[in-house]
Amino acid sequence: MADYTAPVPVPGTNMGKADARIEGRAKVTGATQYASDFPVTNPAYAYLVTAAIARGTIRGFDLAAAKAMPGVIEIVTHDNAPKRADAGFFAKGGYVTTAFDPLGSNEVKFAGQIIGVVVAETYEIARDAAHRIVVDYAAAPPSASLDSHGAETVDAAAATFGWKDKVAGDFTKAWDAAAVKVEAGYSTPAQHHNPIELFTTTAVWHGDELTIYEPSQFVYGLKHGVAKQLGIDPATVTVVNPFVGGAFGSKGIMTPRTAIVAALAKSLRRPVKLVPTRTQGFTVSTFRAETRHQVKLGADKAGKLTALSHDGWEVTSRTDDYKVGGTEATTQMYAIPNVASKVRIVRADRQTPGFMRSPPEVPYMFALECAIDEMAEKCGIDPVEFRRINDTQVSPVSGDAFTSRHLVECFAAASAAFGWARRNPKVRSMRDGDWLVGYGCASTCYPAHSMPATARVRLSPDGHARVQIAAHDVGTGATTIMGQIVAAAFDIPLAQVTVEMGDTRLPPGPVAGGSVTTASAGSAVQAACDKVIARFGNRLPTGKALAAAFAKLNTGVVEEYAEWSSAKSGGSVARLYQGKMGGGGGAKPILAYAYGAEFVEVHVHARTREIRVPRITGAFAAGRIMNPRTARSQLMGGLIWGVSSALHEATEIDQKRARYVNNNIAEYLVPVNADIRSVEVILVPEVDDQVPMGAKGLGELGNVGTNAAVANAVYHATGQRIRDLPITIDKLIV
Amino acid sequence: MIDGSETGGLNRRAFLTTGTIVAAAVPLAAHAKPGERKMEQATAAMAESGVPITLRINGGDHRLTIDPRTTLLDTLRERLGLTGAKKGCDQGQCGACTVHLDGRATLSCLTLAVAAQGKAVTTIEGLAAVDGTLHPMQAAFVDNDAFQCGYCTPGQIMSAVAVVHDGHATNANQIREAMSGNLCRCAAYPNIVAAIVQAAPQMKRG
Amino acid sequence: MRPFTYAIAADAAAAVRAATVPADAHVRAPVQLMGGGTTLLDLMKLDVMRPDTVVDITPLATGRTGNIEVSATELRLGALVRMSDAAEDAAVVRDYPVIAQSLGLAASQQLRNMARLGGNTLQRTRCNYFRDTSYDQCNKRNPGSGCAAIDGFNRLHAILGTSDHCIASYPGDFAQALIALDATVEVLGHSGARSIRFADLHRLPGATPHVETSLAPGELITAYVVPAGPWTRRSVYTKVRDRESYAFALASAAVALDMDGITVRSARIALGGVATVPWRAREAEALLTGKPLDETSANKAADAAFAGAKTHEHNAYKVPLGKATLVRALLAAQAMEL
Repeated sequence: MADYTAPVPVPGTNMGKADARIEGRAKVTGATQYASDFPVTNPAYAYLVTAAIARGTIRGFDLAAAKAMPGVIEIVTHDNAPKRADAGFFAKGGYVTTAFDPLGSNEVKFAGQIIGVVVAETYEIARDAAHRIVVDYAAAPPSASLDSHGAETVDAAAATFGWKDKVAGDFTKAWDAAAVKVEAGYSTPAQHHNPIELFTTTAVWHGDELTIYEPSQFVYGLKHGVAKQLGIDPATVTVVNPFVGGAFGSKGIMTPRTAIVAALAKSLRRPVKLVPTRTQGFTVSTFRAETRHQVKLGADKAGKLTALSHDGWEVTSRTDDYKVGGTEATTQMYAIPNVASKVRIVRADRQTPGFMRSPPEVPYMFALECAIDEMAEKCGIDPVEFRRINDTQVSPVSGDAFTSRHLVECFAAASAAFGWARRNPKVRSMRDGDWLVGYGCASTCYPAHSMPATARVRLSPDGHARVQIAAHDVGTGATTIMGQIVAAAFDIPLAQVTVEMGDTRLPPGPVAGGSVTTASAGSAVQAACDKVIARFGNRLPTGKALAAAFAKLNTGVVEEYAEWSSAKSGGSVARLYQGKMGGGGGAKPILAYAYGAEFVEVHVHARTREIRVPRITGAFAAGRIMNPRTARSQLMGGLIWGVSSALHEATEIDQKRARYVNNNIAEYLVPVNADIRSVEVILVPEVDDQVPMGAKGLGELGNVGTNAAVANAVYHATGQRIRDLPITIDKLIV
Repeated sequence: MIDGSETGGLNRRAFLTTGTIVAAAVPLAAHAKPGERKMEQATAAMAESGVPITLRINGGDHRLTIDPRTTLLDTLRERLGLTGAKKGCDQGQCGACTVHLDGRATLSCLTLAVAAQGKAVTTIEGLAAVDGTLHPMQAAFVDNDAFQCGYCTPGQIMSAVAVVHDGHATNANQIREAMSGNLCRCAAYPNIVAAIVQAAPQMKRG
Repeated sequence: MRPFTYAIAADAAAAVRAATVPADAHVRAPVQLMGGGTTLLDLMKLDVMRPDTVVDITPLATGRTGNIEVSATELRLGALVRMSDAAEDAAVVRDYPVIAQSLGLAASQQLRNMARLGGNTLQRTRCNYFRDTSYDQCNKRNPGSGCAAIDGFNRLHAILGTSDHCIASYPGDFAQALIALDATVEVLGHSGARSIRFADLHRLPGATPHVETSLAPGELITAYVVPAGPWTRRSVYTKVRDRESYAFALASAAVALDMDGITVRSARIALGGVATVPWRAREAEALLTGKPLDETSANKAADAAFAGAKTHEHNAYKVPLGKATLVRALLAAQAMEL
């Protein structure tokens, strides 16, 4: 077996070309400009001061030492912060990760809250000055997490917009009648995205025109949110961010820092550059909140599932009711006719959580897929076979048919490639020297969403084309895929296509979230290409004939702008132009999910219990694969994310102080190169004519099931069911 | 080649116009010669202006005046317009700032610019040939899709080149260990290994 | 990071003279000697260390201080040797594998390239309550203020050598190899050169956790001297961590054995990741001496090594893990084919 698999797969049925990334050269030469790489003239440097307590008030600041330092230009706190309007919590129709203004009063609502900003001539001076500020707090005991005294639990259905708990059939009756029952509690920890690019913001004013350089998964949202907070015309705000240095949800919604920096730049009449520290990044943006689950599964003697109850608890802040609500996925995963579920949010003294790669599915599917493994074992049925006999092509909750679903085919492909047949079902039965060996598997799923998008495409007589769309490449390969769509439409080489993205001077594209970019931005680009081709009577000539066709039209270039939105997915282009994500009407959405099967081999040291994952295999059916090379990379990254989440990632919380303890990238562990060996990605051909572009999205599919696959494999290796992530040595050594 | 002045004229600016920095680069000798300044005097003398330094970067000399607190990373990025090296943690935890100092993979965020004097600094901008031909490692990263967002990539490539030069590319496991100081949150690790395996023999030939 | 004067030491005596200033503890001294700078600059950025003068001692690497010398009787490691160079030195790898492994399993390639052996053993705890100055309570950083880790999150903290004032764990690896092999430290100070046992370099936290070593202000480590012996070749460093590489030890063990068949003539054992200082497990050594080494005796030795462990809310696992790590290291050393 090869030690690693070929990075460039051969395209299968319903797949595009495996082209190399068109921005590859720029990325390997250091030429790519991320937000903090853009040169600005004579910037002042900002450094944040953040709260050392989680709850209380600020009695006062001693700024004397900091102010006395040469090179300090300005220090703002709640006493003198520039006024900014409330642009609203995004989940309530606003623009911001939180409705709370950290500099709005002397209140401290969470540890790490921005309570001051130092601006100085250099980064070094600003940092030193910030460290010399003394804060006098009136601290109150905080509620750190789910079990903390004073934490407030409320039903998501009551507290959050548009949430309804999923129910079907009669769970209680079916549970009482079930021949085989599994009832277990699971938990997932707080996690932080930790993209390697920091949460930088640079604000530059030219008169009344503001330019912001900031990593963003949604530049139009940032543009409009900042304009609203500053009370200025959105037309005067430009956001520039052609490439994002990793995001994973953390850069999707604007945070309070942007308007603060922009306002400071305005008052100082000078560009202001903020590069928060890695540690500050743990509280400047959002995070994945810790969750808890109570799952009940009932089955008949033949192993057919009859009942599912899934209750979830999720942490949120005191200031905003954020929820992920993953029962949407878990209650529709298998043919289970009787379903009960309830999602609750628990308000604690923490910052408001937010999107993190597959926000609902990661915690909730972990619970379900572990419970499924437990149930399969109780029924004496192989876990792969168990999932096959409980497969469904319709939602048991709504009765609607999935647009396409090839979960069973994914399991067949992945289990064959993985060598699942070699697995001895008995726990602790497999060994490699000093290492206990375990095989585990789990299903993965992610819904296929789309959002409105617009694009502009230009074709020149020499066969060169340019596509412009304020969509975003967070590493997914979206830049290349947009180029490929144009190249295919015009039948020109990809090298002749220029792609411009991530800039509000371009037509608006969707948020790079929910794995929507290919379907949404791709549809808009395709529509614009179609309009260009229509100008040529729907028959675009190639090669030299193209120039002749242009001459016939008597035009220099042909450029078309197109708007796209799916009646099925809802949302309107008008709202997109206001920087709003989706929403705003539409008919009943289609029921579309991408699926996959994920297998891992774990090795657990017989004595010291280190857990290693030498092999990961995933098979995925996600509609049309636009580019097998970038698709494989995304799914591979997702699989590794899942292993990371299963074994490493947890933001540790000091329960007494409600503060993050391992708030750096040395102690918040993610895998290093040595942790990852063989990762195999199988692209299962699938045709789905109902989803836009025929593509379901891949960015979040990969990392959903791996958590449970690892947990199930650890159980197989050791006989220990670890139901609380991450699975670490301390939980196995007892 | 740039010699004798800062590059990145876009962010050139008067340095420390507003204040004083207590800073100096003082050679300490065992037996101070008569007339040699004592450290305290030197400190006072240089307090207004920062420290003049010369850095040899990608074959060219750069003379500038800096606050001694400035890291090599911030000097490259904020003063010299060389933004290929990235700030991912600023505490020596992620590897995104990796450059070569006299050929050794080094974290520029934990290196003072004043202490990098007299050493050959190589950054990602100095890796490709003058005619634009990619270094074999750069080409291999493109071929093997060894990045996604690309932010950690300059550091990965600088480490990867050093891994080969150091003789650490003899097998995949050795590569993985030697590359473990460069975090890739997109998790392109298997492709990074594949790229190094591809590039290593080409580098030996070259 | 506070402003400082950057000075370059032309020779060791100059460095020592510059650094010999009144201070109650060298770690808070206003003059700091900088080798690779990987701990010092890290902590200066965090405002934990606030020297007003930083003396760059890397020019000293041109002399003996930068060399590895091997003789029939000892290994001498100059203080300015880079971790990576020592880890890959053929003689060290062959004759002192525990040293090579402890260095090779530490940090990352870049940090190993930068960090020097002298500073390595002085690296400071990763306790976040120490590293983050916004915590008021830290006796190590702010003597007399209390210890936030004791009732905080302490999964990574020490279970051996703790006090009511500090439970911060010593994070290094190399030091365990040195203390196990009875190394000595050559030190240059204001009043000349002296040699101390490596075992006497670090101080238990006791009531003064801010005083971490027995070095006097200005004293410069110039070399480590490791005596040769039949046990150095049969030596291993076993490091258990949460990921495969680039992580601090949850538990580690440095073991060197002198064997007569299956019988232990002498055992040298040090523990890492579990203690406040590099930790020599002499009780365990005594139990093994003259006995056959097997699963049973190894377990008994491990029990003895951790008999004095004191755990807190999140680190009780370090007792069974530390024991398992030691047993694994002992049996691995025994299994070495020389």
